[in-house]
Amino acid sequence: MVVVRLVNVTKVFRTGVVGVKDINLTVNHKEFMALLGPSGSGKSTTLYLIAGIYRPSSGKIFFDDRDVTNVPPKDRNIGLVFQNWALYPHMRVYDNIAFPLRIKRLPENEIRKKVLETARMLRIEKLLNRYPWQLSGGQQQRVAIARALVKEPDVLLLDEPLSNLDAQLRISVRAELKRLQKKLGITTIYVTHDQAEALAMADRIAVINNGRIIQIGAPEQVYTKPATVFVGGFLGNPPMNFVEGEIIEDKGKLYIVIAGQKIISPTHYEPIVRRRGLRKVIVGFRPEDTMILPECRDRNECVKGMVYAVEPMGREYIVVADLGGELVKAIVPRTLVLTDDQEICLCPSLAKIVLFDPKTEKSLESLAAEKD
Amino acid sequence: MTKTNLFSKIKNFIHSDAFIFLLPAIILIIVFYLIPIVVSVYMSFTPLKNWNIARYIHEFVGFENYWRFLYMVTHDPTVRPIFITTVVFILITLAINVLGGLGLAIATFFMGEREASSTQLLWLLPRMTPIAVYSMIWYYFFHGSEIGTLNSILMSLGIIHNPIDWGQSIIPWGPWMIIIFVNGLVGVSYGMIVFTSAISNIPKELVIAARVDGASNWSITKNILIPLLKWHIVYVTTWQMLSLLTTYDHIFLLVEWGLVNRYYGTTWALYIYNMAFTAAEKDLGLAAATGVILVIVGAILGLLALKILGFEKMVKEPRGDI
Ligand SMILES: Nc1ncnc2c1ncn2[C@@H]1O[C@H](COP(=O)(O)OP(=O)(O)OP(=O)(O)O)[C@@H](O)[C@H]1O
Ligand SMILES: [Mg+2]
Repeated sequence: MVVVRLVNVTKVFRTGVVGVKDINLTVNHKEFMALLGPSGSGKSTTLYLIAGIYRPSSGKIFFDDRDVTNVPPKDRNIGLVFQNWALYPHMRVYDNIAFPLRIKRLPENEIRKKVLETARMLRIEKLLNRYPWQLSGGQQQRVAIARALVKEPDVLLLDEPLSNLDAQLRISVRAELKRLQKKLGITTIYVTHDQAEALAMADRIAVINNGRIIQIGAPEQVYTKPATVFVGGFLGNPPMNFVEGEIIEDKGKLYIVIAGQKIISPTHYEPIVRRRGLRKVIVGFRPEDTMILPECRDRNECVKGMVYAVEPMGREYIVVADLGGELVKAIVPRTLVLTDDQEICLCPSLAKIVLFDPKTEKSLESLAAEKD
Repeated sequence: MTKTNLFSKIKNFIHSDAFIFLLPAIILIIVFYLIPIVVSVYMSFTPLKNWNIARYIHEFVGFENYWRFLYMVTHDPTVRPIFITTVVFILITLAINVLGGLGLAIATFFMGEREASSTQLLWLLPRMTPIAVYSMIWYYFFHGSEIGTLNSILMSLGIIHNPIDWGQSIIPWGPWMIIIFVNGLVGVSYGMIVFTSAISNIPKELVIAARVDGASNWSITKNILIPLLKWHIVYVTTWQMLSLLTTYDHIFLLVEWGLVNRYYGTTWALYIYNMAFTAAEKDLGLAAATGVILVIVGAILGLLALKILGFEKMVKEPRGDI
């Protein structure tokens, strides 16, 4: 039963580099939390702070109600899996897994029992006599996880454990890892820069950039309601489309002008836009929420564009469309026949459009939430 | 192998890239190693004395110098101490060099950055100090009269009442202690540097992982650092052993200045040097024979050490591609 809580945690390195700034994060008991961000955003730093390898420059870290800010790593009962797995190259798999227990001076027969049990759980019981360099990447990764789990930690910390595996293996292992986490019910913090991994595995995602947490939420929420342009552009493959829009009012109704064409403003944004008196917005819409029609006729949520390129992706096509000089993408079924430079009609689903403030790049919802 | 076969192989080698790459090393080895050895071997078969090359150079005495060497070792009471001294000196100094270097490298690994670099610098000082200056410092430190630092400290503390002539009176451990101490101090830095750079190449995650599991510094040292430094320990041990077998510069000065006993302060390498350059009658033929035997012993010891310690495996096993 461990809830991990970071309160206003800042880490400034001796070199003056700010690793993370003002991190507030609560990871609930048994929760699978993904820490998602680009390279150098402070993911590993956050993880090492939770592990106790780094001391925060300011702020506090709690495991339940216990203040562990100044507790050394060994007294936090955590399991840590590194990006490069950090297996001891001179020890056999068995000894690698047994190492944490040997340090605790458990009796050898008990160690044996636990190592075998953990190895069986991760299906590596046949590899116990091998050295790490005699294993494939996927096998080494299992050994690293086994070594972290064998001491039955309260918190499992994983630093990009799948990033050294090939794409196929990554997908099969992530399902397995998620199942294992649910079965064991360990509070887990999982660092990754792969948005698909975070979306697939996590109960909640914390998106981090430049050392700050930008948004925390369920995968669905972070995906459909990104708090900033960065989040929308970081999640999804292909990511969210962004185009500049101008707000105009016509006969008491709000419209957004995109590439010289008028679409109706989503009704749920009307109050915010009016209250803030916004003239300009960034319009975000996801490729899969965008319909393509051969002609617009008089649909008031659609804009005209041109086919720039069509990328067949197997299951569907990605249409790259030229929208007044800006390229946007849409995912369409394979039944649609399109040729380059053909004029088409792009219809983003009004309900799923997200509007951002161009100055702060924050979504209007999150701006509204901030002020209230 | 036929002659033409060998010839064409050599020709091929000379035209290969490997040859160009190895050329500087080959030239160095020929000039500074092969030629002196050939000259020494040649000299060891002549009765060359007092550098009177014109007179003796064409005279051959066969293995006479080697028999004389053997006779000396077995019968001359002044030669026995030199060989015992050589063995004791090498074994103990080697242990100090390797263990000291390892200990320092590991200790500085666990220190803060600033403490680590100043500690390392301190231990590099003996290596950076000119040999004569460095030897002079210890000459005065171990001096047998009351001007000796060690004596004056012990006397002012009241531990001893009369100065002790460390290098001349406590035979054999007095002179042994001094030459081992002086050389040990110089040699530690080599191992320290090799081990430090080896440790810095160990992924830091290995150490962090062990720490998270609760491993102490000692446990990290014993279970992770030392096993991963195995090859470097082999290498430093072999290298230091061979360099101790042939070193004589500090010892030469300490003996010359009369700080240590001539018999229990002289090693094999210095003995050869004295025979060839400082003795009243410079018996160069004998010196050359003794030198040739030293080279053979060194080669055997070197190969043996590598064999025992498994260096062969380390060189053969490609690390990277398999
Ligand atoms: N020990 C350190 N000393 C100084 N700066 C550091 C240290 N560790 C990390 N940093 C800096 O802190 C910032 C965050 O680094 P961090 O390792 O947390 O990034 P990350 O999100 O894990 O990136 P990646 O995906 O590349 O692993 C970077 O700018 C990095 O250069
Ligand atoms: Mg990282």
